[in-house]
Amino acid sequence: MTELHWLSASEIADRFAKRSLSPVELAEALLARIAKLDPQINAFIRLDPEQVRADATAAEREITAGQRRGPLHGIPVGIKDIIDVRGVATTCHSKILVDNVARADAAVVAKLREAGAIVLGKLSTHEFAFGGPSFDLPFPPARNPWNRDHHPGGSSSGSGAGLAAGFFPLALGTDTAGSIRNPASCCGIVGLKPTYGRVSRRGAFPLAFTLDHVGPMTRSVADAALLLDAIAGHDPGDPGSRAFPPGPSGASLKDGVRGLRVGFVRHFHETDMPADPEVGAAVEAVAALLAKEGAAVSTVVLPNLKELAAINRILLHGEAWSIHARWLRERPGDYAQSTRRRLLTGAFLGAGDYVDAQRRRLQAIAAVESAFQKVDVLLTASSMDPPCRIDDAEAVARTYPRQARTPFNVTGHPALAMMCGLSAGGLPLSVQFAGRFGDEATVLRVAAAYERAAGWSDRHPAL
Amino acid sequence: MTEQEIEAIARAAGLDKALKEFHDDVSAAAKQAEDLRRALVKPLGPADEPWPPMRIPDPK
Repeated sequence: MTELHWLSASEIADRFAKRSLSPVELAEALLARIAKLDPQINAFIRLDPEQVRADATAAEREITAGQRRGPLHGIPVGIKDIIDVRGVATTCHSKILVDNVARADAAVVAKLREAGAIVLGKLSTHEFAFGGPSFDLPFPPARNPWNRDHHPGGSSSGSGAGLAAGFFPLALGTDTAGSIRNPASCCGIVGLKPTYGRVSRRGAFPLAFTLDHVGPMTRSVADAALLLDAIAGHDPGDPGSRAFPPGPSGASLKDGVRGLRVGFVRHFHETDMPADPEVGAAVEAVAALLAKEGAAVSTVVLPNLKELAAINRILLHGEAWSIHARWLRERPGDYAQSTRRRLLTGAFLGAGDYVDAQRRRLQAIAAVESAFQKVDVLLTASSMDPPCRIDDAEAVARTYPRQARTPFNVTGHPALAMMCGLSAGGLPLSVQFAGRFGDEATVLRVAAAYERAAGWSDRHPAL
Repeated sequence: MTEQEIEAIARAAGLDKALKEFHDDVSAAAKQAEDLRRALVKPLGPADEPWPPMRIPDPK
């Protein structure tokens, strides 16, 4: 029988419905695990066990009275600490905002509360979702549960590490240059960056307005669909928000891949940014398995990955500079060194550089849209290397550009990263699937088919 | 970019304090900006538009 801390949200909902598990029982089990193991993982910046117990008791009362609000009722969710939770500081893992108490819930947190979910706590991030794992901040960096000497990825590092450690079944992350999918890749979980505009960013501290996304991080593909449906929806309070047809995003999770056309973007990891041989072999194995399951896999060519990555970085640096310039002028010493170096880059990019990047962005969108005339889903590498040691600053810095996630921040297409193997060192390897605008359902369908066929989701770190 | 140019741009951006206390970080940031600018090599046509910044089609 599966231990409580490894249950998926779907399994928990099923047990709540059958009354074989209660929200209080689950909350106590998770709080005990967090108390025992988080001092080694550092997933949490803030945890209020008494509030969690009170919310679980309230959920239990409602469910027992037959007032079940839906599949997330009574289920704990971890929140990346750049997303507002009313009455709690949104620190962005930074000294600069250490006392920044949120006056209202972010739109996504409000939606989770409406669905009956329990806000479990605020989770570690890279400073302002941009620095690396830093040791000169008010809170320690999260560590990888598969090997605590290793980097859990970022910037949604507490979300990824906490899921892999069995601290919660669901978490929210944000993704401007891969920050949901990087920790998903490093920690062997599922991270979905939705279509730009599908999930409101109101109440999430911005990094780069035209690249920012909020999205689900989970241990299973079905849970990613469940969480996406809970947080998606048009919000007039977010200028980038769009009204997409509502879910269910998971309607075709069991349909398999027979008849689907999968475009394999090999040049990303073969020539543009040559991947570690273990990564290359693992991604090839994904393509082979999908073909065996009935997908028509063909090679697709997109613009060069380095060019797409540079577009992302110029847009990101320009927009982030606009947000942080005042603090960089007045309080440069209050940032971690890695964050300061990255944020200062925007001061050396001109208006022409930014506009050029936007013009190239539209070319990139057209190229990806053209590919989707011929295929239903794109398959690419996610990280080009297995997770590195967290105390090796040079290796950590190298991991951020060596990835294929930024193209879909530039274009806004939905993209999901998940585990596709373990390295010789016992650390997760990853793959990425991307889909048409608004077509998270097909991305999730392919990911679910792969998950079933490959069986990696049953593997957990030994803690 | 020379050190003099880096310092001139940093001062024009109001980064005197950062320049004084974290000179290496300012220089590293300037180098990063140069590298990014050089990475964009594909030519643009004069009529290539920059707007809107995100071109997501209307949902069907």
